[in-house]
Amino acid sequence: MIPSRLRTPNPHLGAYYGIVTSAFVSLIIILAMFEQLGWGRLLLAQCMMLVPLALYLLIAVGSRTFEVEDYFVSGRRVPPVFNGFALAAIAVGGVGFLAYTGTVFFLGFDALAIGLGWTFGMLLGAILFVPYLRKAGSYTLPSFLGHRFRSRGLRMAASVMQLPPTAFLVVAEIKIAALIAALFLSISFSIAVLVLVALIAAIAILGGMRSLTWTASAEFLVGAVGLTVVVTTVSIILTNVPAPQLTYGEMFSSLHNAEITAGLTPLVPGGLATALPGAMPAPTVKPFLQPFGSLGPMDFATLFLSLALGTAALPSILMRSGVTSSIADQRRSTAWGLLFVALFVMTVPAIAAFTKLIVFRDIALASASSLPVWLTELADKHLLQAADANGDGAIGAAELLIGRDGIALALPWAAGLPYVPCLLMATAALAIALAAAAAHLFTLTASLAEDLYRVLDRGQALPRLIAAWAAIAACSLAAAMFLMIAEVDPLKAALTAFAFAGASFFPTLLLAIWWRRCTKWGAFAAMTAGFLVMLGELVFGGMLGFSNAGFTTSLASLIGALLGLVAGVTVSLYLHKPSQGEDDYYEEMRDPEGEAIYDRAQARTAAQAAARASAAAEAAPSR
Amino acid sequence: MATEVPAQHPARDRHQLQTLILAITLLLTALLAVLVVIASATWLNRYGFVHFPLGFYLLAQGLLIFIVAVAFWFIRIQERIDLARSEREGLG
Repeated sequence: MIPSRLRTPNPHLGAYYGIVTSAFVSLIIILAMFEQLGWGRLLLAQCMMLVPLALYLLIAVGSRTFEVEDYFVSGRRVPPVFNGFALAAIAVGGVGFLAYTGTVFFLGFDALAIGLGWTFGMLLGAILFVPYLRKAGSYTLPSFLGHRFRSRGLRMAASVMQLPPTAFLVVAEIKIAALIAALFLSISFSIAVLVLVALIAAIAILGGMRSLTWTASAEFLVGAVGLTVVVTTVSIILTNVPAPQLTYGEMFSSLHNAEITAGLTPLVPGGLATALPGAMPAPTVKPFLQPFGSLGPMDFATLFLSLALGTAALPSILMRSGVTSSIADQRRSTAWGLLFVALFVMTVPAIAAFTKLIVFRDIALASASSLPVWLTELADKHLLQAADANGDGAIGAAELLIGRDGIALALPWAAGLPYVPCLLMATAALAIALAAAAAHLFTLTASLAEDLYRVLDRGQALPRLIAAWAAIAACSLAAAMFLMIAEVDPLKAALTAFAFAGASFFPTLLLAIWWRRCTKWGAFAAMTAGFLVMLGELVFGGMLGFSNAGFTTSLASLIGALLGLVAGVTVSLYLHKPSQGEDDYYEEMRDPEGEAIYDRAQARTAAQAAARASAAAEAAPSR
Repeated sequence: MATEVPAQHPARDRHQLQTLILAITLLLTALLAVLVVIASATWLNRYGFVHFPLGFYLLAQGLLIFIVAVAFWFIRIQERIDLARSEREGLG
């Protein structure tokens, strides 16, 4: 049988996804017409959200597979642009779509560190890690480290240390998706969690990386269409120009006046730990344009660097480094992903500025007894709370409590758009959150199956795919149970996940890929040092009051990465030299020509097995 | 007694050196640009650019455009370096 990677990619992919996009646009238009004809809001919401969910499931069924190479690396034949779609959806996620937008609304200028960190992190990963991971061709990040250093122990340790970042991101993304579904479909949060977890588990089980790639491409397109349509429409309403990224600057003087009227005054910088907005509704306290009002320049730079290292070394992003047909294609796909992330990050301040302008302008003009209709609607959805607490007859900034994760969803409402654009924004956010949640879940479970189970159980009682399916089912159930019991702040969970990834894996990968002299023990020391610093911060940080002294998760991540680098170099230099096998692997990995190392090793093993079988068959008659 | 002479791989060594120099140059340039803008954002905000305060614009859009341009430029140069290695090894 021809290996999956040697087959040509489907030449009709562009046409298929053109049809998916056209179908979604048609759905929007049809529902907009039905809204005018008097359809109920719940029915509109069900059609707008459930039809795309059915489409994702249909794509997953269509891309189901039982081949190992298809399951773990999508047959290594994903075109660069489509991998870029999936990479962007994973990097941004529902957390980026809703929580980052809300953070920019609250902090304005100071929140730009987050988007800038993601973008620079994608560049770091593209230059430092991605081409070499493509050449290695290992299915997971821990298996790459295991192959590079010829060490099963290191592979298992990496798999364990990969658990916190991927698990935090899984629960953060599922929480965002479930919040949206519960808000618009009038179902309880627990039911929403169960349904969405079942959906992403089904997508991951049916086709692994292959179905994740093709559903994530559709989800990215739904997200992009939803975001673009809504923000462009609002931009036309406010500025008459359909280019929100270029025109929201014109709104700054109106925004500044509205903020002054609402009673916002410039802030004195505090610590990073207290500056980031929480998930609960809170008043806005900082003017949008004030630089370094909530975070000082050092906090800003720390947050930026921590997110950059975390994005560059995020296992869910790096796991996609083996899905294209060549190293050159892999580089191009990462650049496409970076471009899409940058476009999103450039759009977010426009969403935040438009929402803030409309909210403060309309409230400044209204008396407490005659609030705008959209404000009542948003209050019904628990996205805003407004009350004239001081009895002066007007609503000031301090009396308006706003939910951070509802800002992007509130924009079409506040701009006076019909209900379908409001649903469109929610469907877009849901699509991106699902794409990211499924990718993080698959990264977590593939590593458990491949790097823990396969290494521990030498007899391998379960075949590879069945082990992966079992891990997906178990982890999905655990994530759903956890979300129903625990209260999770998606933004905080995501920032902690990026901090863990940056501290544990950035120094390890840097040394493994760029330093020939790095040894197994050096890599282990680098990974463990960063991981322990982060674990210490997570467990003892709040308890010992470090956060009050400015010792934040971001700072801990940078300290962990630096200590990891020092530990890795020191241990590598003072213990034994790399073996010939490690040296040869390093040379092969740095050579841009030729097949992936893992594929060659697999082919060699298969050829040896075939030769042994043929020799046994020849020897059998003579006996 | 014969001493072991390390194998010579001029094409490989040159490729790795050029790749390292390219990576360091691009990443340091992008990182320095970001850090300089962060450090001088308040001062830059005194100037305007298409209705935006300049410091805000650079952090919200300008640096992102620069980073994307660096990524696509990196692909072009790295592919040239890789091609040069294959040609040298082919000749060798």
